[in-house]
Amino acid sequence: MPIYFNEREIVLPGQLLSDDSRRAGEGTYVTNGKVFASTVGIATIRDGKVEVIMLKGPYRPMAGDMVIGIVSDIKPIGVEVELGSYVTALLKVKNAKELLSLNLKIGDVIYARVASSGLKGVLLELNEQFKKITEGVLLTITPTKVPRLIGKKGSMINMIKKITGCSIMVGTNGFVIVNGPSPTSEFAAASAIRLIERETHSQGLTDKVMAYVSRLVGGEVAYDTNDKT
Amino acid sequence: MTQTTKPKLIDENGRRLDGRGPTDLRSLKIEVGILEKSDGSAYVELGKTKVYAAVYGPKEAHPKHLAIPDRAILNCRYHMTSFSTDERKILGMTRREVELSKVIREALESVVFLEEFPRSAIDVFVEVVQADGGTRTAGLTAASLALADAGIPMRELIAAVAVGKVDGTIILDPSDIEDKYGEADMPVGMTPSSNTIVLLQLNGKMTKDEFKQGLELAQAGIQKIYQAQREAIRRKYGASTTEV
Repeated sequence: MPIYFNEREIVLPGQLLSDDSRRAGEGTYVTNGKVFASTVGIATIRDGKVEVIMLKGPYRPMAGDMVIGIVSDIKPIGVEVELGSYVTALLKVKNAKELLSLNLKIGDVIYARVASSGLKGVLLELNEQFKKITEGVLLTITPTKVPRLIGKKGSMINMIKKITGCSIMVGTNGFVIVNGPSPTSEFAAASAIRLIERETHSQGLTDKVMAYVSRLVGGEVAYDTNDKT
Repeated sequence: MTQTTKPKLIDENGRRLDGRGPTDLRSLKIEVGILEKSDGSAYVELGKTKVYAAVYGPKEAHPKHLAIPDRAILNCRYHMTSFSTDERKILGMTRREVELSKVIREALESVVFLEEFPRSAIDVFVEVVQADGGTRTAGLTAASLALADAGIPMRELIAAVAVGKVDGTIILDPSDIEDKYGEADMPVGMTPSSNTIVLLQLNGKMTKDEFKQGLELAQAGIQKIYQAQREAIRRKYGASTTEV
């Protein structure tokens, strides 16, 4: 099974990656039995599949994603939710009573699971995981950087939560809710998230973020002028 | 620049007006990701021709009835700024610009995986800030880079260059004067690896052999431009991803 790239190499759309079409993973496409990159990104092999990790790009909803969205319209059949994506999602309700019981207004922020995504549009699920978010700061980051913000088994996000004392909710679509005991701690967490977004692919990021957050929480004034949050 | 008589476009030594040989490109400069507010952007400079391209989206298609249920729509606007030419160009879209917008859009549609984003729209803006021949090809080169920068999945990048015929010689990358006083001008847009032609136009007269020769010359130029495109992307993303 020949591979035509170096691990972690930056590839371009149309670059030949492999001869084995069964190994086509995310960020690739197959023509004439060969695997090519379809986006700019870092080529890698994961679980025997050739994948291109996108560096930047739009959020593509997939069934099972936990997302945070903003209610943009209320209709008889359900609630339209903005996901910061190319298409709005629909949270379907069975009847008017259920719609009323949700108690949602335009502009409300919700947390929900994507039930399906396809030609019928994006549908959200109304299950026990569904939540209306009542307080906190809403941030948006590039959706491709969400895995890095969470870290391996949640290491990064848990570290930020622990140091700042904030509760942080991350939607797969790149929306993040930070809710903390004081403005200082919320600011520290938000700054850390911005730092991760800026330096997603640098090494030793966890240590760097830890030092950064600790300093901010310690009350030392280290106002980042690049930060507009 | 009010020349009324035709200047000698190729001298005794086979050099062109700006000192190039017949098969030379002008100096090429490509940058990616330069416009902060766009989702993807690129800048291409080919001699005195300077072009910006910006991509916004995919986003919801407006008005909604234009949306297609199983794929995205691609909107493209090729526009020359009024100060880009010797004589001030009138404001708004001229017939020529409307046509070039369509030609560039169709070239891009052939490489972008539009079916990945149903019911949405992708906007591509090509803005010429200085025109000296070959703006549609520079615009297409920039637009494909901007799409790649926006993270939109596509089959391949597109590189494009024009070939011309002046004083009986086939030349690569004609400038404005060569285009005006030459016998033919042929913009070519191709995907550099699979060599698929996505844009081909011809103004003027060429024999069959000249056409073949011109196409080969364009192909060689496209490979050079593709190398510059690759370098530009690696420069933009390589710095932030040295090691992970």
